[in-house]
Amino acid sequence: MTDRSPTLMDDPERRAEWARRFRSVNWTLLPDPPLKPPYQVAMDETLTLSTATGERGPNIRFWNWAAPCVVLGRFQSVRNEVHEDVAAEQGVELVRRISGGGAMLIEPEGAITYSIVAPESLVAGMSFAESYEFFDSWIIESLRELGVDAWYVPLNDITSSGGKIGGAAQARRHGAVLHHTTMAYSMTPGRLTQILRIGKEKLSDKGITSAEKRVGPLRNQTDLDRDVIIQHMIGHFRDEYGLAEGAFLKEELEDLRERVEKKFATREWVYFLP
Amino acid sequence: MHGEYKTPGGKLVIVDFDVIAGRLRNVEISGDFFLYPEEEFPVLSSALEGVDADLDDESFAERIRMDMHPDATLLGTSPEGIATAVRRGLEAGKEEEK
Repeated sequence: MTDRSPTLMDDPERRAEWARRFRSVNWTLLPDPPLKPPYQVAMDETLTLSTATGERGPNIRFWNWAAPCVVLGRFQSVRNEVHEDVAAEQGVELVRRISGGGAMLIEPEGAITYSIVAPESLVAGMSFAESYEFFDSWIIESLRELGVDAWYVPLNDITSSGGKIGGAAQARRHGAVLHHTTMAYSMTPGRLTQILRIGKEKLSDKGITSAEKRVGPLRNQTDLDRDVIIQHMIGHFRDEYGLAEGAFLKEELEDLRERVEKKFATREWVYFLP
Repeated sequence: MHGEYKTPGGKLVIVDFDVIAGRLRNVEISGDFFLYPEEEFPVLSSALEGVDADLDDESFAERIRMDMHPDATLLGTSPEGIATAVRRGLEAGKEEEK
């Protein structure tokens, strides 16, 4: 895991080109009220669609959680990923997001998650793989400013000398791209492996046998509070690329409620793969 | 039956299925891979549905490749990776029968 190979962002010319792209559009920072898990995953779809139609411009938001949950990737099956009985016992809700990738166990104060939504034109000409690193490059830089020795591992991981920090996933809809990333801030020891099924095959190319040993939550690597880290990340983005504060549109909040009710809170969606 | 395969440096793909009268049935593919566009997802399992379980890996992979839209992109796994998971499921199933 500490194997450190140069990635795209280590090439100064490419970094400069990425920075020009980020600066070429007007970014809006959206509010981060604590939302119940189905609302958080629905909000991504709402914002992806309102960005696709041009109702709003490129945006970024950090997530706050009103309850613990497991967020399944679009193509994961419940029984292969989750000890459902333990999750239920501990009041951990199951939700499914619109992007692929792996299951995350979320404790409200334990994770830092952000979503970026932009027109696909922002990443025109890039491979999927390049666009993943592009959207996380500023987070790696802001982590380094905080003294965390972080780097990117393609396709979609952020790691550090202290262990894996987080991972990203993307979805694309009607000409808009959603990129969201979750980082571990702190973890209750033992809880990850109690709730998530992480088999030997999943770890087969990692050279380790325990999923928990693999993770290096930020709290182990810095004394800073979660909010301080988030504010630093926002400040970094604002300084580098410009960022204005904005609000959700009335239409978006209506769309959100409808999407939760008709899709994200339904058993049909959560158990899309049982 | 149940087979898993993690592409080294990539993602995990899981195939759950039955073999009925020598053919793959009730094929369900899952995992932490990415697929664009996501609407292409049902094609992955329908491509294997009813396929002769005695075929080799390359034939399983070929079925998936043939059915996938040419512009669809799998990230972190591949038709070959899915075929490997099927093969492992079949082998584990045979072990259980013994």
